[in-house]
Parts: sequence; C-alpha cells; structure tokens
Amino acid sequence: MKRHSLIALLLALSAFALLGGCKDAPSGGSNNSAGGKKMTIALLPKSKGNQYFATVEKGARAAATELGADLLYDGPTNTDPAKQNEIVEGWVNYGVTVIAAACENKEGISAALKAAQDKGIKVVTYDSDTTTDARSFFVNQATAEGIGNTLMDEAARLTGEEGDFAIITATLTASNMNEWRKHIEARLKEKYPKMKLVDTKPCDDQKDKAQQEATNLLSAYPNLKCLMAICSPAVPGAAEAVKQAGKAGAVKVLGLGLPSENKAYVKDGVTQSVILWKVEDLGYLTIKAAAAVAAGSLKAGAAEFDAGKIGKMEIQGDNVLLGKPFIFNKENIDGFDF
Amino acid sequence: MSQPAPFFKTLLARPEAVLLFVLVAELVFFSAVGRNFNTADNFANIVRHSAEIGLLALVMMPIILTGGIDLSVGSLLGLCAVLFGVFTHEWHIATPLAAALTLVVGAAAGGLNGGLITGLRLPPLIVTLGTFSLFRGLAEAITKGTMTYKDFSPAFLALGHERALGLPYQGWLFIAIAVAISVLVHRTTFGRSFQAIGFSPEGARYAGLPVQRRIATTYVLAGFVAALAALVFTARLRQARADAGSGYELQAITAVVLGGTSIFGGVGTVGGTVLGVACVAVLTTGLKLIPAIALQGIGSELGSLLTGALLIFALAGGVLAKSLAARRARRQSLAKPQPQPIT
Repeated sequence: MKRHSLIALLLALSAFALLGGCKDAPSGGSNNSAGGKKMTIALLPKSKGNQYFATVEKGARAAATELGADLLYDGPTNTDPAKQNEIVEGWVNYGVTVIAAACENKEGISAALKAAQDKGIKVVTYDSDTTTDARSFFVNQATAEGIGNTLMDEAARLTGEEGDFAIITATLTASNMNEWRKHIEARLKEKYPKMKLVDTKPCDDQKDKAQQEATNLLSAYPNLKCLMAICSPAVPGAAEAVKQAGKAGAVKVLGLGLPSENKAYVKDGVTQSVILWKVEDLGYLTIKAAAAVAAGSLKAGAAEFDAGKIGKMEIQGDNVLLGKPFIFNKENIDGFDF
Repeated sequence: MSQPAPFFKTLLARPEAVLLFVLVAELVFFSAVGRNFNTADNFANIVRHSAEIGLLALVMMPIILTGGIDLSVGSLLGLCAVLFGVFTHEWHIATPLAAALTLVVGAAAGGLNGGLITGLRLPPLIVTLGTFSLFRGLAEAITKGTMTYKDFSPAFLALGHERALGLPYQGWLFIAIAVAISVLVHRTTFGRSFQAIGFSPEGARYAGLPVQRRIATTYVLAGFVAALAALVFTARLRQARADAGSGYELQAITAVVLGGTSIFGGVGTVGGTVLGVACVAVLTTGLKLIPAIALQGIGSELGSLLTGALLIFALAGGVLAKSLAARRARRQSLAKPQPQPIT
C-alpha cells in the first residue's frame, strides 16, 4: 500500500517536471508581432455577468469585425480581482496583441498589466482606470465636467430654467460625486440665475434611504420643482417617493443611472430623464483605440482620435473621451437593455 | 521491479493510474492544439494559479481520509490574508514575524474547528459550515468589506512571482508540503491512523487509537496550511482583501475526490490528490489557450464543465472497476477462498 502511494506521488511530481521540461519553445512573441498577422485584441470586463459589460461587448464585437481583428472577451463571473489577474496573465502567454481592461482594483491589476507591457503587449483601459504607468490610454466614458454640465442643463430644461431643486447623492464624502456636484454648482451659477439648489442629502447608496430622503425633501420644500439623483440607487428611490406623494410630473426626477433600472418610472412619466453614456459606443471606441495604439497610429500627445462611425473623439492628456453623456427618456429608453 | 507484470497490474487498478493517463492525455492534447502551451511561462502560470488550491487540497486530503470535511479553508484563507494585512500595515510588525503570526492564527482557527468537532462531537460538515461563514464574516468586518491592504515588501511579493530553477517559489512550497503530508499519511504510524479512523472509527477506538485527538490534528494542520496559502495568495495578487479564496474549499475537495480519496474516508493517497490538482489545473489553463475556445470566450465555463464531467467520470469509473473486480474475485474465490479487502 505505502509503496504504491509513494510511487503514485513520484509519478505525479514527475508529471509536473515533464510539463516544465518541455519549456522554452519559441515563446509568444513570434505570432503577435504587429506586421502582417491578424491582430488579437483582448477585452477584460469587471464581471461577465453584468448587463452593462455585455453591452460593452456588443459594441466591441462590432468594432473588431470592422477591423478584421480577433476579439478575446473574458472576465470573472462576479467581480473578482484575483480572477482578473489570472486572465491577464493567461492572455500574455497566449500572445495577444493588445489588452483593453476595465479594472476592478486599480493597484491589484497594474503589476499584471505592466508585465504584459514588458512582453511588448499594448495596454489600454476603459470604464475604470488602473495606475497611469500600466497603460498607454484610458478610454474615459465621461468626465466630471461632462456629467455635471449635462445633469444641470437637463434639470434646467425640465423646469423651464426656474425654481427650487434638490440633490440626492451617495455620501457627502464620495470624491467622484463631490467632483460632479462642484461642476453642477458652477454651471448653475454661470447659466441659470433663476434656479436655486435648496438642499443636498446623502442616501448611503441605498434605494430605501434615497426614497426616505426624497419624501422628507418633498415635505420640507413644497415649492420643489425637481429632484436630481446623482448615484444610481437614488434615481428609482426618488421616483418612488414622488410617485407615492402623488406629485408625478409636478416634481421632475432626473439622475445618473442605468436605463433598465428606471424604465418603469420613465414610462409612467415619474422620471423624466436618465443620464448615462452610450455603453455600446464605449465598447466600440475602446476596441478602435486599442487597435490604433497597437498599430502605432494612436500615440501619446494626439489631440483627437477618429473612431469611425461614432465620430471624432477628443483626447485630453492620456484620456480618450467618449464625449457628452447620453440622455435616456420616454422616447428612446426602449431601445436599450442594460 | 523484478516482476513487472503484477506490479503494473495492481498499478492500473488504482485510480491514480487513470488520472495519470488523463494528465498525460491532457498534456499531449494541449501541446498539439493549444497556443504557447508548451512554454516555461505557461508552466509557471499553471503552477502559480493553482498553488493555493493545491495547498488546500493537500491538507483537505487527510481530513477526508478520516471521514471528515472542512468547508472553512477558503474563508480561513481570506481571514488570514486580511489579518496579515492588519499585522503588517496597522500593527507595523516586520513581515517575517507577521507571517509567522498569521500561521499561528491559522492553526488556532483550525484548532477551533477540531475542538468543536471532537470536543462536542458535532458533525464536521455543520461545524465547518459555521466557521465558513464566521471566518469570512470576520474578514469582512475587519476590512468593513471595502478596505484592501497593499504595498507589501518586495521580498515578500517575490513569493508570488519569482522562480527558482524554472519553478515558481510557490511550486517548491507545494512540493515540500506534498512530500511532508505524504510521509505523514503513508509512512508514519501517526498518519496511518487517519486511514484506520476513516475506515472504521469504532475499530480504531477499540484498537486503542486516540481517535478524537488524531482527528483534531488534521484540522489544525488544515488551518496552518490555509494560512500559508493566504500568504502565497497575498504575494501573488500583491494585495489582501476579504474576498480572497472564495470558493476555494470546493475546488480543493474536487481535487481530493478526483484524486481517488473516498468522500466517506478510509481510502486515498496523497499522490492521487497531487494528480487531481494537476489534472484540473492543466485542464482549466489549457482550454483557454485553444484559439477556437478562447475566441468564443467560454474557456472558464468549459473548464468548470469538464472538471465536473471528469469528476463524475472518475467516480463512476471507480465504481464500475470495483464491481468488475468483485465479480472476478467471486469467480476466483472458488480457487482461493480469501475475501479481497475493499480498496
């Protein structure tokens, strides 16, 4: 018995050794050099199970088909930084031409991406950036200024540029949302003198709390014309509060969120506008930019990038900008499923 | 080696032989159709990506051999990773000492499992289901679910990234632990009692073995090695988060059972577990290197699917082989009236 198990163990270990023994076959490089061969673009989502990234993939496939490039799309089933690293390390070995990554954990993945760069693989990021030394460009779906201005302009349009409005945010310390609020307030001051921001309430990124806060705001400010929700759970939360108060249409609701989460309220006329970017275009632009970086036609210092059917995109520093956010409303929301 | 015929005959009847065949078949197949499969880098990837699960499988094996189970090792890996982060980043303990402390905590957590199972005579499945949630919950509470510890010392990170003689450091660690566990389980009287306990706890007790103490030891060992796996995992990802090692316990159990250890205890070898780990690791990595599969983006899904199929095939094959052997033994028992031990 013991002799056999020891032999089995030795066999197992020698199998490992065998695997290691046949190493140093001509490594990756030969079939991913830019010239002639078909380009292989690898696209990493934060999680495969998310409708948002499924929509990104749709746009990415369209771009890859147009470019005649192979597209590898793989990611963790749920957001899992360990799995993201493993997938990137697998791609390096596979010998892809360029990697486009949405990073679940900025620092966690940057070393893996840097290792890819060391092997001559180009790296761009989209949706969520990594450290700047681990990629050449970040495809930025929306700048803080773009989001802030669009929210404020849309609130002004809905209220006829007149009256009181209130903001519901996630927390008063969330840095990205504070950045948006800064731009909202600057735009308000600059362009809409007859509008007044009466209050800003946090909802801790919870729908129930947002609904509670919205109900309180509605009774505290009877002249309120508009509720602006700038974190995604707050948009349906605010809508539910307005609906239950019987003020649908009288108090406008708009916010930053996914069309799918707000479809019912938009169709009922409770929520007027949902603001986000065109997610499919984000996938399309990412692949176009990744291919251009790999081919050497998009280099540091460029001011503009021609993304084919979605137009010319502005570049700020090392950010390729997707352009203005998109407004989803009663007329167009049915056409989107993320 | 003087009588090769009976030697190979007995070897082929063992599940390890089937697994070895599967492993070689995988290697040949992926070398032929996989892209850059036969490279040093890919070999390193396979070892690095499966070392933690492999370590957990190595210590899961003695537990299952005694008829127990430990569902908490993945959660304990997460807790130990987070605690290592706390020790180095908040208590500012030097890395080697922090690592040693983490190993102590891991062993103690394993002792908690062992104590509850043997002291209160609670079923291992229930106890470790409890600590599965308890350990993960603690890790999440410590980090409030969001905090990540990063910026570990370069010397420590080497554990997850450097190689010696072509083999990643964690590969050497895996071999060392594999040999140690193998010697313990198969070559010492202490470890051979695990098998006796799993085969018949009552019989082992009547034979005078300290059954409860031996069982508790296997859980302490599992806790200790889970902490070791936590260090490897942290070094590989360069960060410690509360979600580290989620689901690893089931992958470890899969490798052990695939490796021929009976889930009811009493039967199994460490070599089989090593082969089980290798078969799954090569399969899941190799699939992603086949261009047709990679282009469909179904490498991971197909990996899980085929691992499941392999497990069921191996178990069903084992049962079939056993019933065939039993039938042959019955026929032969007319000549030699000696009942075959069930293996």
